[in-house]
Amino acid sequence: PFPPLLSVSPAADPAVISPQDPTLLIGSSLVATCTVSPDFPLKAEDLYWTLNGRRLPAASYAALGPSTLSVALARLNGSRQQSGDNLVCHSRDGGILAGSCLYVGLPPEKPVNITCWSKNMKDLTCKWAPGTEGETFLHTNYTLKYKRRWYGQDNTCQEYHTAGTYSCHIPKDLALFTPYEIWVEASNRLGVAVSDVVMLDILDVVTTDPPSDVHVSRVGDLEDQLSVRWSSPPALKDFLFQAKYQIQYRVEDSSEWKVVDDVGNQTSCRLAGLRPGTVYFVQVRCNPFSIYGSKKAGIWSDWSNPTAASTPRSERVAGGCDPKGGEQNTTLRRELKQFFGWVKKHAYGCSNLGIKLYDQWRVWLQKSHKTRNQV
Amino acid sequence: GDSWGIFTFLCAALCNLPALPALNCSEELGAGQSIQQTYDLTRYLEHQLRTLAGTYLNYLGPPFNEPDFNPPRLARAERVPSATVDLDLWRGLTDNARLAANYRAYSRLLCYLRVLDGQVGTAELRHRLAHFCASLQGLVLSIGGVMSSLGYPLPAGPAAPPARPPRAPAAPNDFLKKMDDFWLLKELQTWLWRSAKDFNRLKKKVPPAVVTLRLEARGF
Repeated sequence: PFPPLLSVSPAADPAVISPQDPTLLIGSSLVATCTVSPDFPLKAEDLYWTLNGRRLPAASYAALGPSTLSVALARLNGSRQQSGDNLVCHSRDGGILAGSCLYVGLPPEKPVNITCWSKNMKDLTCKWAPGTEGETFLHTNYTLKYKRRWYGQDNTCQEYHTAGTYSCHIPKDLALFTPYEIWVEASNRLGVAVSDVVMLDILDVVTTDPPSDVHVSRVGDLEDQLSVRWSSPPALKDFLFQAKYQIQYRVEDSSEWKVVDDVGNQTSCRLAGLRPGTVYFVQVRCNPFSIYGSKKAGIWSDWSNPTAASTPRSERVAGGCDPKGGEQNTTLRRELKQFFGWVKKHAYGCSNLGIKLYDQWRVWLQKSHKTRNQV
Repeated sequence: GDSWGIFTFLCAALCNLPALPALNCSEELGAGQSIQQTYDLTRYLEHQLRTLAGTYLNYLGPPFNEPDFNPPRLARAERVPSATVDLDLWRGLTDNARLAANYRAYSRLLCYLRVLDGQVGTAELRHRLAHFCASLQGLVLSIGGVMSSLGYPLPAGPAAPPARPPRAPAAPNDFLKKMDDFWLLKELQTWLWRSAKDFNRLKKKVPPAVVTLRLEARGF
């Protein structure tokens, strides 16, 4: 049932590799040595090397002493894994005597494309892209730093990966009406690279929550219109700003959104030119521009969750529409209307008699006619 | 599948909260269910570990991720509690000793895994490790719950593993650290495999009716 107790090696390390865990530039060469500890009865000729599990050719070996074997590695490629290439010194039977992790790569490139936004002027989130190469083969650490211009003290962002891998979130202690300098430092074992400095005022990069309470409803019986209403984002209600809104809508089974751009400052809008009897999905977003008179554009919020509504479809009687009959109906109706008008003036009682009652009777007639046809 | 395992884990964690007085009334039944849940948790963790170990060993690179890799276990690396034990010794363990060994082992293993979490390179690995540590924490709680319901005291030491592991000498170089990580994962595998047998054995001490019902329900 249980595997045999594993044999435990003696306390001293069987061999020592030099250099131990070196960092190297791509394309460089390396000579490594493996020296067996005096407690071990092994000679140089009893040893061999592997790199990432593959045996290295004996032609690259050289015995530098009775118990020291070297290996020459030329024009090294970037490390196969970020934890380092595994260079291992073995005894003849395959046992591992010692190992060294080789970190072969490139120094980092300047991070680029720093963009930031502030949610309701309370915080700041920035994202960036690594330099053009991207692949340095080494683990690269990114640090976002910021300081108020003319105030001298550097601050370091702490919360990373909030909006993707290359992002950081500054949750508090941000001042308004003052320019900030923001930059990103990339560092790995081979060096450091600093991005260009971005200067911004929090008020210039404000975004907000999507509009709340988005309601989409029909406009009476109109088949080609829907009315959209929403509330302005509550988080900014105490601030002086103008809001721009945008609406996008699409038919239920299509992926093409139509955008209504010129909504301006209102919190309602009517969509027209729609298809009757169709389900539409509608979303609204907000751009809080000109906060405290800032000249900059502001940043669009996310779209609100889609709201669905359908346009009405008028009923058509299966029995068919007789145009002639329709004409006759119009004349009859007109006459009836006149009659009822006269009745109202000159007769007392029967006040419920009116054209409306006649219309209701017509509707009832259509419905019962339809049911009779269906039966 | 995965969601069933998570459900079991949550049940185990919740059922073993000491604040619930109702459990005291039917201790035998409570213990039986807890043992079954702990068993299920070890199987779930075993499954989770396979994916985690695969990803982690690929991160360490060959030869660590080769199937027949078996490096020497250096004496300095004895910090990780070993699951392997003499068969007769194992058979003769009292319930208390059996549970205590499991409890101690996973508490220590959890500590070491958490240290690993702080050092590891890629975001994907950190995410997987964090998830696994949470599940392992659940297992420790579950074992503690079984011990409490059977009236055994929890092994001495902090109930929750301390933030810093007991100071074993840190690996003197990166390659030896990779070997330590390899052995940590190996011991974890062996422990989960052994725990399944431990809890199977403990299940037999529980009234058969309860166990039979459960087996039938699971279609065995």
